[in-house]
Amino acid sequence: MPAVLTVDPRSGVPIYLQIVEQVKRSVALGVLRAGEQLPTVKQLAIDLTVNPNTVARAYRELEREAVIETATGRGSFVRTDEVESSPRVAVEIGRDAVELALREAKAVGLDRDEVRAIFEAALERWFSELPKGDSQ
Amino acid sequence: MSSIKISNLRKIYGSTPAVDGLSLEVQSASVFGLLGPNGAGKTTTFKCMLGLARPSSGEILYDGKPLTPQSFERIAYVPERNVLYEWLTVDEHVEMNRRAYKAFDPARARELLSQFGVDHRKRASALSKGMRTAVMVACAFARNAEILVLDEPTSGLDPVNQRHVLSLIINEAAKGNSVIFSSHQIGQVERAAETIAIVDRGKVILSGLVDDLKADRKIVEGIFPDVGFSLDGIANDPRVSRVDRTERIVRLLVTAGADEIASRLSASGATGIRVLDLNLEDIFLYAVSPVTATTDIVTKEQSS
Repeated sequence: MPAVLTVDPRSGVPIYLQIVEQVKRSVALGVLRAGEQLPTVKQLAIDLTVNPNTVARAYRELEREAVIETATGRGSFVRTDEVESSPRVAVEIGRDAVELALREAKAVGLDRDEVRAIFEAALERWFSELPKGDSQ
Repeated sequence: MSSIKISNLRKIYGSTPAVDGLSLEVQSASVFGLLGPNGAGKTTTFKCMLGLARPSSGEILYDGKPLTPQSFERIAYVPERNVLYEWLTVDEHVEMNRRAYKAFDPARARELLSQFGVDHRKRASALSKGMRTAVMVACAFARNAEILVLDEPTSGLDPVNQRHVLSLIINEAAKGNSVIFSSHQIGQVERAAETIAIVDRGKVILSGLVDDLKADRKIVEGIFPDVGFSLDGIANDPRVSRVDRTERIVRLLVTAGADEIASRLSASGATGIRVLDLNLEDIFLYAVSPVTATTDIVTKEQSS
């Protein structure tokens, strides 16, 4: 697996969740491909200098969310049934990001129409059909 | 399975309790971090664990059994004040360990010493504080012990060597051994320990999995339209362990259910609701000195 994982132990986000989120993101981006093997719990714990049980907990959570599967004695792998056909993990990441943004917008007191206007403008900017690098 | 179990440990010096009813359990194949201000009782606890201080009451069990002379082969200890023989060289300390402990691996000790940058020909009296720590740590990790008791194992070391000690600790847990260590550097405990206990005045005042403590403990913040706001009984919720009111802003320290409490705060008329994460340092400061912690949180928000 490419060395894409990093953790920030000083963050208030539990370390195991940081690992879960980064693996999901790597899967969504195709950095981790279907069927690709993850490092062993022990190896990742040593690489990140974090507790092996914390890494094991992250892997259990990724199994529960059907992102990876573990074959006894062979290791942990990105599930093949998910990534190729449906970008489920990508949808989850996008939904979380939008949820967070909307919650923040509501918290600072914007109303539905104001949020809609911002959202439409952002949508236009990021999702217009113009080819990349040709924004007039 | 727990490899170390301390139940209701008390150690009284004169009439002063240094340890006052302390209980904790270290699971096998895991790393346990002991945090606490100076004089909290960490070192006394370690000494009692090693039989270097006699507990006034309470029980310390290793795999369910009390400490025996045979246990010392399985337990490696790095004391807070390093105990070196000033007139002996580093090499002679390695040799002394080899004679004392059957499973001691002198080649591994020499390898670790060279990784730490210790000159093995030097006498102990000629070593810096950090290098003295490194000698103790190198000998402890070459013991092939099943249980490692490390009192401030990174004190005096530079950041590279500190990280190296953490890697060694992680490696022991990965091999199935148990480590209990103390450090004033909360970031190190946060990184390497799975479970922690915060000790203050001889008692455990907070313990748990680091990740669970972070997941549960949050600051919920809201702003009310007027100064004379009412919290509608939210402050009485058992999950709210602290309430700070500054003008129109309220800040709640919650021990669980942050999202639900955030909704209740919103329902009672507050806006600008935020749920803020706490790192282990915040959690520690709130536990041992609530006033300082508040100042810290406020400062951090202003600077971000």
